[in-house]
Amino acid sequence: MSEYKTDVPYGTLDLLILKTLDTMGPMHGYRIARRIEQVSENLLRLNQGSIYPALIRLEEQGWIRTQWGVSETKRRVKFYTLTKAGAKQLNVAVANWERATALVARFLEAES
Amino acid sequence: MKLRFAAGRLLALVRKRRLDGELEGEIRGHLEMAELDAIAAGLPPEEARREARRGFGGIEQMKEHHRDQRSVRWMENLLRDARYGIAALARDPGFAAVTIGLLALGIGANAAMFRIVDAVLLKPLPFPEPERMVRVGEAPPGGRNPTTTLTFLDWKRQSDIFEALSVEQPTRAAVATGGSPERVAGKLVSADYFQVFGVKPQIGRTFAPEEDQPGAAPVVVLSHAFWRTQFAGDPNILKRDLALDGERHRIIGVLPAGSFDRDEAVFWKPLIFAPDQLNRGQHWLAPIGRLRAGVSLDQAQAKMNVLRASLAGVIYQKDWGFAVDPYARMLVGDTLRRSIYLAFGAVLTVLLIACANVANLALAKGATRRKEMAVRAALGASRGRLIAQLLTESLVLCLLGGVAGVGLGALLLRAAAPLVAVSLPFTADLSMDPRVLGFAAVAVMAALILAGLLPSLRTSFGKLSNALNQSARGSSGSSAAVRRTIVIGEVAASVVLICGAALLFKSLAKLQQVDAGVRMDHVITMSADLPAAAYPSPAIAARFYAAVVQRLEALPGVRQASVSQGLPLQGVQWGEYMSLPGVKEVLVVRLKLVDPGYFATFGIPVQSGRGIEGRDRAGAPPVVVINEEVARLLSGRFGMAHPVGRMVGIDVPGYGPIPESLVNLQIVGVIRSERTGGLNAPPEMVAYLPLAQAPRQDIKLVVRTRSDPAAAMPGIREAVRRVDPNLALGDVMTMEQVKEQSMLWARQPTRVLGAFAGVAALLAALGFYGVLAHAVTEQRREIGIRMALGARPGDVVSHTLRSALAMLLVGLAVGLAGAFALTRALKSLLFQVSALDPAALAVACVLMTLVGILAALIPASRAAGVDPMTALRDEG
Repeated sequence: MSEYKTDVPYGTLDLLILKTLDTMGPMHGYRIARRIEQVSENLLRLNQGSIYPALIRLEEQGWIRTQWGVSETKRRVKFYTLTKAGAKQLNVAVANWERATALVARFLEAES
Repeated sequence: MKLRFAAGRLLALVRKRRLDGELEGEIRGHLEMAELDAIAAGLPPEEARREARRGFGGIEQMKEHHRDQRSVRWMENLLRDARYGIAALARDPGFAAVTIGLLALGIGANAAMFRIVDAVLLKPLPFPEPERMVRVGEAPPGGRNPTTTLTFLDWKRQSDIFEALSVEQPTRAAVATGGSPERVAGKLVSADYFQVFGVKPQIGRTFAPEEDQPGAAPVVVLSHAFWRTQFAGDPNILKRDLALDGERHRIIGVLPAGSFDRDEAVFWKPLIFAPDQLNRGQHWLAPIGRLRAGVSLDQAQAKMNVLRASLAGVIYQKDWGFAVDPYARMLVGDTLRRSIYLAFGAVLTVLLIACANVANLALAKGATRRKEMAVRAALGASRGRLIAQLLTESLVLCLLGGVAGVGLGALLLRAAAPLVAVSLPFTADLSMDPRVLGFAAVAVMAALILAGLLPSLRTSFGKLSNALNQSARGSSGSSAAVRRTIVIGEVAASVVLICGAALLFKSLAKLQQVDAGVRMDHVITMSADLPAAAYPSPAIAARFYAAVVQRLEALPGVRQASVSQGLPLQGVQWGEYMSLPGVKEVLVVRLKLVDPGYFATFGIPVQSGRGIEGRDRAGAPPVVVINEEVARLLSGRFGMAHPVGRMVGIDVPGYGPIPESLVNLQIVGVIRSERTGGLNAPPEMVAYLPLAQAPRQDIKLVVRTRSDPAAAMPGIREAVRRVDPNLALGDVMTMEQVKEQSMLWARQPTRVLGAFAGVAALLAALGFYGVLAHAVTEQRREIGIRMALGARPGDVVSHTLRSALAMLLVGLAVGLAGAFALTRALKSLLFQVSALDPAALAVACVLMTLVGILAALIPASRAAGVDPMTALRDEG
């Protein structure tokens, strides 16, 4: 639907955000982006801005919800929290991901 | 795709401003924090800002992406579901047509009925500030009574209570319409009558205060409809005159189109009190008023109580008070109110049954779609999405049904308005209006919840994975149980309505059997008003009565003719005191003024003494004939075993300006009672005076013909024209029609409830048929096996019928229980029939059973026609 490009493997940004919120609890957008960068340090190049479309998408799916809070710079910003449905979705997405990578790994092993 | 995107953007616009603002804040916050972090990492400020920007990526590109994400999602779902729903309907047009038809029927009938409820009960007065309109009257203990002229004038002076207070008296007048005179209805009103209604004229003015005073020049105000028809909407109408009964009246105004066109009155002229009317004896006025702004009903009542106390010396009825009531409440009688609520209840039940049918259809369809749902769930659709999809499909159906229903409702209203208009107050406007559309929208939502929610829950819930494992044929047993329960509910609701209708029909039949005490066949009646100008004295009027009867009876097709004031069954206008010599107690009797032919024409037998005869003319000794009710009271209470020959005193009404006067009359005869009120009202005490001795201007002509009375009308008109070429005849009705009219209050609710009960029964039968037919289809294999094992077609039929009968019986039992609880509401509409009349309830049950069995026979015979070989081989 969009030509927006990112270095993050296609379709995994949602998973990364959900996982981040699951481990870290409620956070605002900048912290989520920083956390993803920190965890993946030299492996992943992320346009920090790209997490906002992902966040609104997740919110409309009902997987995360927002609250207003105050940032370190004393600005009113949105804090994002994982919902119950989001936690379930995270499990599903993780399982799917593991299945997919296992399949690809097996395929590659067989090839060599 | 383009359309969806456009719609998505359109809706996003609504939320755009808020969400864009929020996003802007988030971006700014993000960049600030990133900048701070960069500075903390040791970058100079300028460098830090650039670094933050670089890390964030393209801001405008991201915003655009953000908008796409948030706007399209839910709109996309809704539109996709709607499109999917429409496509699904197109695939199964039979299902769609039946569903839309059922909903249109239910919603249409409800919209039409709601218009009546709204126009009569909810918004009965289409006038400004209707809550300030009141009816004022005297209040005998537990009732209301008209008031006298002088008391009315006392009230009218209370300008701190009333902004305007007016009376209205119906009148009729002959107007010349292209040669032949026509009698039209009008009203005599006080000068401030139109202020009470807050109605301003479209042309000219209404009455000035001095125009209802003696000696004022004759003026008239016309209704909008009369101006259009009679004067072709002439804009220079104020320069023209209108002749009423030959007297010139200056036209001073024309009312706007609207409420006053629904009344039968087409002209209004000032009511000028005659000197003899200025008394406190004759209770004849029912004033309506407009309260002064800011005066509450309670305050008005309190002030009227004070006034009543100050008038204690002059008002004869010691225990009568004054009462101020909301006009809206007085406009709608209790019987009408009940009838309308009854009809509305019935039509809501029809909608309920229609929705139940739709739900049942959707459930049956849902059973075949569970596989589709299961596949979609397996592919990752959430349960909420599945329900949303099914509900959207239902919404498409309900909206289509609602649109068709509004159209159907408009047609129904147009068809029903002329039939019910006579029973409704003149203020009731039965055209479609926006409130009906609002109601239809509510009905659509209700239908969606009733007919759409349950099937979508059932189809999407439950173990969907089972649906995948199931074989193609057969659905889960619990779904069939739900559908059976729904059908039983439909049968029960129909039974309640049929019971109500049966009770009303029985009551109507009883009413029809009541002997009115008069011969009705071959009798035609008409009314006439002798204009004061042409008939200035009682003697001239009396001469007219005799002459017209002589002319009429000379006609070959006429057996008898008579002139009287009032007809049987139409009520008696006059109530007067009758005093007995030497007795302090007085009786109130109804007073009828009749000519010598009246008793013979109506076949009323004289029981003792004689009837009224030709010799009882003006100047002869005054006489009175009483009915057996009066005779019974005279002999019972006053020991007057033989009233014939005794003297009584009665206030005899006057003629024109001649005042009423107390006259001593001799009782010359007793006749058998006729029904003067309605058929449901017990016979009243009536005294008959010779019309020649107490002439009236407002009279009825009664003619008994040898053959079809309608065919005799041209001859009758010609005969009357010979006597008075200017006299107009109105209200031409056979006596049968008079009787019909007097029973309208009972007939209309009966017809309405009967029709709705019929529709309900048909819908229930349809639902019944649907469930049984579905069951037979599902059990084809089982039936095939049983037939292969030796079951005969008869066994199969009786098996199906037995299960049908079981459902019917449960429905009947529940319905009867409902009827026991609900028919009480009918009580005031029933005549000599108990609300729990066993015969009527039994008939209702038998009818429902017959309809149900008829509906069951078709699927049963189809079951019997199952070919075992085909059924068993057809593995699907």
